Amino acid sequence: MEDNIRGKLEKILRGELKYTSMNLAFNMLITKLKKKVQADPGSMDACMKEMEEFLSKYTIVAKVDLANIAAL
Amino acid sequence: MLKSLEETIALINEGKVLHIAADDTLLRKLPKGKWIGGTTPYFISEDGGVFSKDRLFVNVIDQAEDVRIAVYGKYNIFQIVEECYDNGLTMLIMPFGSAVAMKYAREAPDVEELLMHPVIGWIAGADLDDGGEIRVYDGSSGESYTDKAVVLYIKLPEGKSAMINMINIFSDDKTDPVIRFYDNELNVTRCSVNGQDVSFAEYIGKKGFDAKMPLVADYNGSYINTSIKEVGDGKVSFYAPVFKDIEYRFAVPVEDYAVEFKKQIDAAGARNPVISFNCILNYLYCGLNGKKTPPYTGPVTFGEVAYQLMNQTLVYYEILG
Repeated sequence: MEDNIRGKLEKILRGELKYTSMNLAFNMLITKLKKKVQADPGSMDACMKEMEEFLSKYTIVAKVDLANIAAL
Repeated sequence: MLKSLEETIALINEGKVLHIAADDTLLRKLPKGKWIGGTTPYFISEDGGVFSKDRLFVNVIDQAEDVRIAVYGKYNIFQIVEECYDNGLTMLIMPFGSAVAMKYAREAPDVEELLMHPVIGWIAGADLDDGGEIRVYDGSSGESYTDKAVVLYIKLPEGKSAMINMINIFSDDKTDPVIRFYDNELNVTRCSVNGQDVSFAEYIGKKGFDAKMPLVADYNGSYINTSIKEVGDGKVSFYAPVFKDIEYRFAVPVEDYAVEFKKQIDAAGARNPVISFNCILNYLYCGLNGKKTPPYTGPVTFGEVAYQLMNQTLVYYEILG
């Protein structure tokens, strides 16, 4: 994953950047991981790993999200 | 689409993979085959919303590279995340009020890996006026159940993905008080409103109870509803559980349900939904009997599953790629 996108995803999980996807599962995942990071900021790496797994598993669906996040 | 009993039997005998919704009196007459089914006599057909006990709503699953059917109870329902195809879709049907549906409703959001595998489904029910059997069917064995979930695992060809989405006419008002609950519960006595511990039933009493207005939780811009079933004896019961650590608000009132529903359908812009499941509360409150909701057709359901259980929502999936 590009550093630019990774940095923005981390900001999304910290609540510093707002992004809403058209993909329900991605929005649910962001909500779940944001809660985890809020409760334990040290869990960021594990949360990012889960996020990367999700995005790499569904590349067709994730393509639009990654382009939108890169442009934030 | 809606089919007669004879047409449905012919499709089963041709070896088609089918998802079938109908009244129990019809489902019990079907032969064994590659199908799963659940009971409901309400449908949204191409010609509009309809109540029928002499026709079946049948979806032919023709994008599958392979399929498997399985049955689960409350103790093993979450094996679905282990036993699904790596690239596929899991479709499940559970009977209304069953222990397995309760377990799924309460625990699904906490299940690791659930969001890694598309899961769509619905809660089977019966005629709201006359009742009737609430069952789910495993067509491969010919068995039916009142207390188990039937699951159809669909393997998709490489390069194809299933995307699950929903249509919800409700949103929240961010200036409204934030409601939080202390546990994952279907019945609630106390909650916190803007950080203050209160009786939820009393809070609703003061606010004025309107059964049409669900609680709404904002999941990063996707609004998920929880509908109130009953308020009484200091207790509030829901059709789906509320969850701890999630912020809820009451939905913003909707002036004209049917108009708002049409607006949201247009906004969703789904090109080719394969199947949709629309809530019985939408059917009733939006007056969908006789009304068309293109391109969404399917059974009218007593709870919708898009990964987790939802209410007052239309859920659907599309195949992308």
